Amino acid sequence: MQAGYVFVLPSIVLYAAFVLAPVAITIILSFTYYDISFGADWVGFENYVRFLTEPRSLEIFWNTLRFAFLAVSFNVAVGLILALALNRAMPTVLLYFFRLAFFLPVIISAAFVAVVWSYFYSVDFGVINYYLAQLGIGQVPWLSSSKFAMTSIVIMDVWKNTGFFMIILIAALQGVPKPIMDAASMDGASPWRRFSRITLPFISPVLFFCIVFASIGALQVFESIMILTGGGPGDSTRSLSIYLVDEAFGSFELGYAAAVSVIMMILVLIITIIQIIGSRRWVRE
Amino acid sequence: MKKLLAALLLTAGLVSPALAQSDEAGKLRLMTFGGEAQLKSTQDAVARFNQKYPNVEVEIGVDAVGGGWGDFVSRVLQQYNAGEQYDVYHTAVETLQSFAARDLFLPLDDFIASGDFSDFDAKLFDLTKYKGKTYFIPSTWNNIMTNYNRALFAEAGIETPSKTWTWDEFAAIAEKLTKRDANGNVTQFGYEVPAFFFGLMPWFLSNGTSPVTADWSASNMKDPKVAETLQFLYDLVHVKKVSPVPGQEGVENQFFAGQIAMISRGHWIVQNAIASKLDMDIAVQPGKVNNDTVIGFGAYGISSKAKNVKLAEALVTELLSYETQVAEGDLGGAVPGRKSAAETENFLKFPPSAPLYYETLPTTHAVPSPANFQEVDQIFMRYFNAIMTDEMTIPDAVAKADQELTRSFERIKRVTQ
Repeated sequence: MQAGYVFVLPSIVLYAAFVLAPVAITIILSFTYYDISFGADWVGFENYVRFLTEPRSLEIFWNTLRFAFLAVSFNVAVGLILALALNRAMPTVLLYFFRLAFFLPVIISAAFVAVVWSYFYSVDFGVINYYLAQLGIGQVPWLSSSKFAMTSIVIMDVWKNTGFFMIILIAALQGVPKPIMDAASMDGASPWRRFSRITLPFISPVLFFCIVFASIGALQVFESIMILTGGGPGDSTRSLSIYLVDEAFGSFELGYAAAVSVIMMILVLIITIIQIIGSRRWVRE
Repeated sequence: MKKLLAALLLTAGLVSPALAQSDEAGKLRLMTFGGEAQLKSTQDAVARFNQKYPNVEVEIGVDAVGGGWGDFVSRVLQQYNAGEQYDVYHTAVETLQSFAARDLFLPLDDFIASGDFSDFDAKLFDLTKYKGKTYFIPSTWNNIMTNYNRALFAEAGIETPSKTWTWDEFAAIAEKLTKRDANGNVTQFGYEVPAFFFGLMPWFLSNGTSPVTADWSASNMKDPKVAETLQFLYDLVHVKKVSPVPGQEGVENQFFAGQIAMISRGHWIVQNAIASKLDMDIAVQPGKVNNDTVIGFGAYGISSKAKNVKLAEALVTELLSYETQVAEGDLGGAVPGRKSAAETENFLKFPPSAPLYYETLPTTHAVPSPANFQEVDQIFMRYFNAIMTDEMTIPDAVAKADQELTRSFERIKRVTQ
């Protein structure tokens, strides 16, 4: 029994030093006004009150949720559609070509992708608006209007990340027992019925993983938005991560930034717990 | 033996006193910023310093300043906290108050008075003062000028802008220079409204105002002239349609490609203009009540924790020597602090009106750089972009920006008072 503790001690020490301690320090920092030169003044819940009472921080909070909902929905849905499309009989060359084509954006740096897309989206000089003009369609302010900016970022995010979920879901689809599918076909089950009653239950654990994984990533989105819009126009696309960095390293409000990061951590935790509870209803054990 | 030889040569007048060597030994740490070219000129300056101080080791650190000046300030504060600060820092105007408010640097007034800095325009020292003391010595600077495509001006039959041209004259010229195709789509813009704080400042200054008060201690957004300036810029984009919507990627390249006739930039675009073979020249900022513009600069400061201040001063002297200044002028990217280094044939050969950079120096104002500069910049630009993209009306944006800036200035008083 004692020996067991000795074996896990290194892991516990490392976890305490590099995970628990920084989290604890961040939580303590969030109750202070901290200036790196003059030290910390205890301010109690002032930073949290500021976050919950400033219209700007609340707008940024809802932006983050909105982005996460749209990005997760479309990333997983499009990933699943592509996985289903590529999980069928076709020449091997074509199969690998398409898989590679859809997966390639995943391995490209997010910053580079964002720079390229910002050129695509440019109102006056962008490729997309150029072709729209050829079709007689007026200029679309992709990144310079709050009506379009979030959608534009989601489109880019889906283009970049959906391939990752596609690959995972292809692997899951290949785990669906063929005899059961064949039996269902012989019994006259429609493609939709086969998908909803056989495929979906079988891949539901993987689907659940994709949703949780995508949610955590989307709630922490930073570089793609930073490069595409910088959080603008106004605050319409600003995420909590960008806000946190602005406050910590732009305004030197380290205590307040720590409070924002604690709020982010709680948000991710709550959403993950909701997903886990919800999963009991639809994820096959 | 070396010293004896040097002494004999000196006595004989065969070498300049500059080569006299010092016995002093020690180590200095220098933090500079910029890329390869900046580093090279710094290394050359250090090599010259080591000719005079062969026993002094100089460690050079380089910060790319990739995350902006606020980020740089954070790193420097952390260095001080950890006791890992450098002895000499090369920094920028945007950081001066943040550092000076925290007593991180030594006042240099006596050093400046006793050193060879007569070649620097007194205006540059005025701009670096904090609470009456000078903590930094300017190295190179940039003022925002109107950069224009001479070929497009000639093609449209427009004369060279005068030194007293007005906003209205500027707008009329921008309209003349804007071309549209049969469908009404713009194929050539007359001007590009800048999408960065520094680039926008001349428009406010030339109207006798600024988003922050003259002493950089409070918001000035409620000054009606601020709204008037914003309205003028908005009209250039949305009413006269002579400018693309600010903030789009690659707009500077459109200027180099001849698709935009005028942009507001500093000397830093000169090298790109030469590389693009662009027939470019510069003009002063168009005026509403004056033709004033903005200036930003790099500057050297000596840490208040430097162990050997005299050696640090000697290093700064070399870093600001005529040779270093000429080298930096030749690199392009900024105007040398020493006037003599900005009068070399190399510096003056392009653009044709290069002397204008120095001529306009007396009517420049430092970019507002309070201790909360980064936040001021972010708040102002957020609302400016909201105006320019029709997300907010000018009165609403001005009111909200004023509220946020006021809160920011209240918070920073914890540090500056």
